[in-house]
Amino acid sequence: MKAKIREQRIPGVEKEQAKKYPVLLAEDDPVSLRLLEKKLKDWGYRVFKARNGKKAWELLKTARVRIAILDWMMPALEGPELCSRLRQIRKPHYTYLILLTARNTSLDIVQGLEAGADDYMTKPINLMELQARLKAAHRIIELEENLLKTQKKLQKLATTDSLTGAWNRRTVLEFLREELNRYRRGGPPFGLLMIDLDHFKNINDQYGHQAGDIVLKQLVQLIKINLRNYDRVGRYGGDELLILLPGSDVYHTGLVAARLLSLAKETKIRINQRLQLGLTMSIGGTSADSISKPKPETIVQTADRALYLAKKLGRYRVILFGDSVKLPVEEEDHG
Amino acid sequence: MVKKNQVALPINLEEALNRIGGDEAFLKELLEIYRDEFINLSQQLEKAIELKNYSMIAENGHTLKGASANLSLPALREAAWEMEMAGKNQDLEAARKALTALKKEFHRLEKFLSEKNKN
Repeated sequence: MKAKIREQRIPGVEKEQAKKYPVLLAEDDPVSLRLLEKKLKDWGYRVFKARNGKKAWELLKTARVRIAILDWMMPALEGPELCSRLRQIRKPHYTYLILLTARNTSLDIVQGLEAGADDYMTKPINLMELQARLKAAHRIIELEENLLKTQKKLQKLATTDSLTGAWNRRTVLEFLREELNRYRRGGPPFGLLMIDLDHFKNINDQYGHQAGDIVLKQLVQLIKINLRNYDRVGRYGGDELLILLPGSDVYHTGLVAARLLSLAKETKIRINQRLQLGLTMSIGGTSADSISKPKPETIVQTADRALYLAKKLGRYRVILFGDSVKLPVEEEDHG
Repeated sequence: MVKKNQVALPINLEEALNRIGGDEAFLKELLEIYRDEFINLSQQLEKAIELKNYSMIAENGHTLKGASANLSLPALREAAWEMEMAGKNQDLEAARKALTALKKEFHRLEKFLSEKNKN
């Protein structure tokens, strides 16, 4: 007795999964095309169809196709050529490629897989086998999705401050070095601001550290939405922020600093339903064009000293330093 | 394995139905698509033979072979394969023969299906 080939019944969960992975079906024979289309739809897939290689290529490039079932022999563009073309372009997501072939010599299989196919099937298609291979495709796509997610998460963990979402110290200093390199090669100047909240310790002491955290978080938000999207806001330490302003010379840096100063003063920070806090900050700053031989350390140090003076002179003010300002402590410079 | 009394039939209905989960209405739809495609491809084959366009002969033969295989049409599949080979071997005589065989088998299929529908 010949064993009857029966399709597996599809549980709802798998149909839901299938919905997430639109399938491109490229096949020049209309009978196969209709047969596969109907089955794929029954299984829950969204289906894009192409009757020749050219159309298939257009869809592969643009549509959000996650799985492609490509006939080997098609007019204009054949399956293996489509595979290798797709592997050469960058798509945000991996596309799982299944080649269909009437042939089944091992040489063809090697040729297909080397062109970039993940799997191949021989025609006529056994639907139960196709179902099983699509499940394998789901596994690979999920693995890739999880990998990307983890990568993104790690990237975020490694570069940002978890409390405020600002760049962490290491990353914002990295941006500073990049910006400085650009400036040295003749690029535009840039500004650096160091911001410190006035009497931040009192907030922590009086309302608790949670309140202090909320203040920091909201302050970073406030600053971010009031800067250009290519300005970099970083958390330098406790309540100190470092802001990098690409393209800003000393005048523009001063203007931005003054704007942030009054912005913070005008804004009430809401801790909870009953408590709102007003606060001020002190800002020290410098810019690449106001230092004759800028180095990363000198730039940060200069901003830091300006901030120190701003605090010393009574807080809630902006101080900018450059080369012409005699610093309280002489730098050890070999030049 | 194919039973002996089915070998001569133009379509292996059991196998074809099995492949699509026993859906008779869907098989009917697929056969209608096949019919249109056959008429289209056989016209193109005639033209290809006339123009001695061997790659067109091979390509159309190949497409027809795939469609026939999907619907379990053994004799049509065989004739389509002959057509594909004729194109590859650049054998015009074999292509003409294959076209005659295709038309004959197609006619037999149509007759079989219409008789089946009467019953």
